Amino acid sequence: MRAYALLNIDKGRLQPFFDRVPELFHAHHHSEAQDPKGYEELLYRLYRPYTGAMLDMVDRWAVFDERDWREDVQLEVMLFLYAIRYPDTLLIESLSDKARSDLPRLSSYLHFTKHTYAIWDEDTRKGLCRLGIEIPPLDSAEPYIYGAYISSIELLKDIAPFTCFLEHDVPRQRLFQAALASWGREGDD
Amino acid sequence: MGPTDVVEDYEPNFEAWIDQFNDWQKRIGFDPAWLGDYRFEIKFDWDIAGDTIEFGDFEGMPKWNRRMQVPQQSIRDAIISMVSVQGDTEFASVEQQWHLLDSAPTEYDRKSAMRIMCEEQRHGWQMAYVLCNYFGEHGIREAQKLIERNSGGNPQREEGEAQRLLGSFNEPIDHWLDFFMFTHFIDRDGKFQLKMLSTSSFKPLAASMGPMLKEESFHLGTGANGIRRIVKQGVIPCALLQRYINKWTSTGLDLFGVDESTSAQWAYVYGIKGRYDEREVDTPAVREHLNEESRMHYFEELKLEMERINKSRHEGEPELYIPSDKFHRGIGKFAGVHHTTHGEPFEGSDEEWQEYLRGMLPSDEDEATLKELFKQEWIQYREWKE
Repeated sequence: MRAYALLNIDKGRLQPFFDRVPELFHAHHHSEAQDPKGYEELLYRLYRPYTGAMLDMVDRWAVFDERDWREDVQLEVMLFLYAIRYPDTLLIESLSDKARSDLPRLSSYLHFTKHTYAIWDEDTRKGLCRLGIEIPPLDSAEPYIYGAYISSIELLKDIAPFTCFLEHDVPRQRLFQAALASWGREGDD
Repeated sequence: MGPTDVVEDYEPNFEAWIDQFNDWQKRIGFDPAWLGDYRFEIKFDWDIAGDTIEFGDFEGMPKWNRRMQVPQQSIRDAIISMVSVQGDTEFASVEQQWHLLDSAPTEYDRKSAMRIMCEEQRHGWQMAYVLCNYFGEHGIREAQKLIERNSGGNPQREEGEAQRLLGSFNEPIDHWLDFFMFTHFIDRDGKFQLKMLSTSSFKPLAASMGPMLKEESFHLGTGANGIRRIVKQGVIPCALLQRYINKWTSTGLDLFGVDESTSAQWAYVYGIKGRYDEREVDTPAVREHLNEESRMHYFEELKLEMERINKSRHEGEPELYIPSDKFHRGIGKFAGVHHTTHGEPFEGSDEEWQEYLRGMLPSDEDEATLKELFKQEWIQYREWKE
């Protein structure tokens, strides 16, 4: 609740979003672009010990460019995935430049290995901004920005009414991240 | 007595209860190290709880925030009883399920089950907090009982330990098919109970329900999706699955209690437990049939869920269905009356009825078949483990 106090959230402003979370989640998560079956498969196909092939699966789902990481960078990221504990994001700073500079990719790896970290997504960030939670764009690899992003989603989960929570086995972070992405896109219209 | 006195009097008792809770975890076989970073928290959603009693004979009056505001001892007793039963089921499910962690079909399933067990413990913790902090010595005694009983379904159970309060929470959950059935059918009953208490006239109870309902939704999703993944994989035949569906449907229906329940009626009169859709409907409650009404909502929801699950069926497999609410009931007006899974009266002798049941409910043979099937890739995305 510390973030709540710091951000001084206007709960009234959140209500129109909370009223539509299930519908917004469906619009984003079950869209063709999001490949919900591929997403579900990743939840089950990524497990310890992590391998490069598993990271490739995430890259394909997220439609990222192929990783051009040296072997030691990949190993470093694997160790990072084992070591990090939610909601820490500062450990990202310990990574070498090559890995650290691609936070959207790291956030996807974190999501599918930990399930508690939210995937970084520009529409989701805009959705948060529409609710009065100003998260800056990710121009540089800034773990603090990602930290604020995941804390904000955690905060929304915390204060949302139970009617927002679908009977779904996707992680709750995905539920809110996907709903926020739809919400953010609507703001662009 | 001012509010400060209440805190000073009762806070240490909940802390003492926490020590007993830590012992309970070890006694029932749940390794506290499994919790990892998870911390038990007391969560209230005071906003959604509302300020005014919403139904019953006290409708329109302010909700009760403390024990001494509750106007009658009988109402206090009824609240304590409801909180105790709810808390009892939360701890029971952990006792029934902890031993399954080692045989999880995937890492995600293991994590999901672990999360469910953590959250069920948190729900029990919340109920114990309400008992200890709002109901004095009586509440503290009931909170202690929550962690003195041990489910008959716990493989690590000492002889002589008191069983859990409700029958289905003393049944063994032997494997992951039962786990998914339990989370789909029995946790769904739990969702109904929580929603009915979310409009309670006792505000700390109503305010406890919102956060619990949030967590419960994931449990239900895990159950429904687990069954869907099994059906999709097509290794366990639908005819065999149907027998487990028959068993768990009747178990779930029974959990809503007797027909024409007077205790449900009194709970409604007191405003402590409403209808499932209390805030959504404006028709007066039929107070004589409250359990029946909730049961029918549950039954209809089960049928809708089964339609979704059926979409994953392999070609040639029989359609899965929710059996009639008259079939194999242990409680209510259909208890002991012989009906088929399609709701028709069974015509035949008692021996023929027993034979019919053997074909409609899981048998020892089914359990043996399952054991063999579990060696295969019986569920979608299973990691192959020798």
